Amino acid sequence: MPQSYDTLSAEQIAAGVRDGAFLAVEVARAALEAVEAREPEVQAFIQVTPELALAAAERIDAARAAGETLPPLAGVPLAIKDNMNLEGTRTTCASRMLESYESPYTATCAARMLKAGCLPIGKANMDEFAFGSSTDTSAFHPTNNPWDLTRVPGGSSGGSAAAVAAGMVPLALGSDTGGSIRQPAALCGVVGMKPTYGAVSRYGVVAFGSSLDQVGPFGRTVADVAAAMDALVAGGRDPYDSTSQEVAPSFAAAARGEGAVPVAGRRVGLVPAFMEAEGLTPEVRAGVERAAAALDAAGAELVEVDLPHVDAAIAAYYVIGPAEAFSNLARFDGIRYGYQEPGCTSLARQSALSRAHGFGAEAKRRQLLGAYLLSSGVYDRYYYAAQKARTLITADYARAFEQVDVILMPATPHAAFRHGEISDPTAMYLSDMYTISLNIAGNGGISVPVGLGESSGLPMAAQLVAPAFADERLIAFAAAVERGVGGAFAAGVGSPEGAVVPVPGSASVLGVAPAFAGKGGELA
Amino acid sequence: MPLTQEDVRGIADYARIALEGDELAQMTDYLNDAVAMLEPVLAYNLPDVDPTFHPIGDLSNVMRADALAPERDLTLAAALGNAASTRGENFRVPSILGEGEE
Repeated sequence: MPQSYDTLSAEQIAAGVRDGAFLAVEVARAALEAVEAREPEVQAFIQVTPELALAAAERIDAARAAGETLPPLAGVPLAIKDNMNLEGTRTTCASRMLESYESPYTATCAARMLKAGCLPIGKANMDEFAFGSSTDTSAFHPTNNPWDLTRVPGGSSGGSAAAVAAGMVPLALGSDTGGSIRQPAALCGVVGMKPTYGAVSRYGVVAFGSSLDQVGPFGRTVADVAAAMDALVAGGRDPYDSTSQEVAPSFAAAARGEGAVPVAGRRVGLVPAFMEAEGLTPEVRAGVERAAAALDAAGAELVEVDLPHVDAAIAAYYVIGPAEAFSNLARFDGIRYGYQEPGCTSLARQSALSRAHGFGAEAKRRQLLGAYLLSSGVYDRYYYAAQKARTLITADYARAFEQVDVILMPATPHAAFRHGEISDPTAMYLSDMYTISLNIAGNGGISVPVGLGESSGLPMAAQLVAPAFADERLIAFAAAVERGVGGAFAAGVGSPEGAVVPVPGSASVLGVAPAFAGKGGELA
Repeated sequence: MPLTQEDVRGIADYARIALEGDELAQMTDYLNDAVAMLEPVLAYNLPDVDPTFHPIGDLSNVMRADALAPERDLTLAAALGNAASTRGENFRVPSILGEGEE
């Protein structure tokens, strides 16, 4: 009986290829068929790369035929956010500025996933230069949330999250500067992890905020995200990124409940102020409470903790982020690469018009805010204050982690919103109120689905937070939440009212949005 | 004191981003909203707290051997390949000296 490609996890695909149940080339074709069937409605990709995917698959099939041992993710289709260089593709950052930019080399994160055997299916849509929480600021097209096409997938890594949620790929890479992995994962009902700053190399990823940016994976199961993390840290620290750190590849073991991080007997912190915050919808709060109940049932102890300075995180972020973005994006002057305004007779004019016409509105807003904040007289007031707030926020987390092993909190205040629903840019910034403090402090977080909201019927998520470089804890606790709330969502399993119901213990039945389940892409 | 359009024009010049049509008025409104949103951070200008500029403390500069790494070198074709305007082995730019406008 043919098997729908989207019911298989990355682990199951890799096992099937390894055991000869199907060829990597068959997986690549199934993925491309799924993209062809679902992409017209979802629009998760800026560029689809069938030649690269099929060539990678043929290499894997040849290696297996030659009796070689296959790498751990051999034959697993992967989407790569379009701010990551991959030779043979354009890297556009969803900007007119880089519309025709050909990747001159491959980013370490992408190279490591390919070395682990992944098949590059395409470059995923995003907010322009990763400035946003909706993917609506992409210069090329918006991406639609697979659970409700009138809604956003979140952002900035919205294409990556939507490609996974629509069953086009089981794994995707994103980057997270203020919540850009965890927020779209939450809005699309998939797992998304921002590891600790420094855990994954940033080499070859177009920089936004250099002290905030971190690369991480999306998947439909915690185990798949763990397998991707092992691939991303394999090979040790990257000499091409001076902030890259040595991290042990212990994530898959943590997902299986092995290693030094059992959940039973551990302490989980809840922050009362977060659970009572203005703007948090009751259904998201109920979802976080389901996660808390799952951890309680797994033998963890729930404890209240306080993070008194985290209130300052959004303001600190919108000083540090734009300041760093302004510095990083100064390189786009239209000379060595990027859009160049034709017919200019002076260098200054060419630069100002290339940037005016190459960048979209939000990219200009963030850069002008950064330029203002770094200007003489202003810099001393805002920039130093923000970096002092950073010291206090980091100390808050350190104090809390003296009492607890992980902290449980919402990932987003609300479910996916409609395209255009939040038009005020500063109101949009509040979408990241629960994710941003981790980029400020540097430690890791994971967004894990906790079922559908009772009023919206849309995916809900909880976020787990661990101390810096204790990211395997995120996996262990997220796996316990996943098991406790009934496995990932069941694809296309409808109740009489048409709602999707979780199937207890069915971690192999994945969270593909019901409209797309089984649509295109079959494996024998 | 709110930023004026004249202030914002100066910021845009500094950022090398030309503002056209309604953009100057819109950007002035946005910057005033954004700066108002940042107000809470000013309470953290505390004399007894050290700033944290980077999440990884005690970073030291990374040095490598002063040796060629040909496998990492961009070829000339790759280096020039993404430029809009080149001449021979060079990037081509408009005149720098003598530019008088703006």
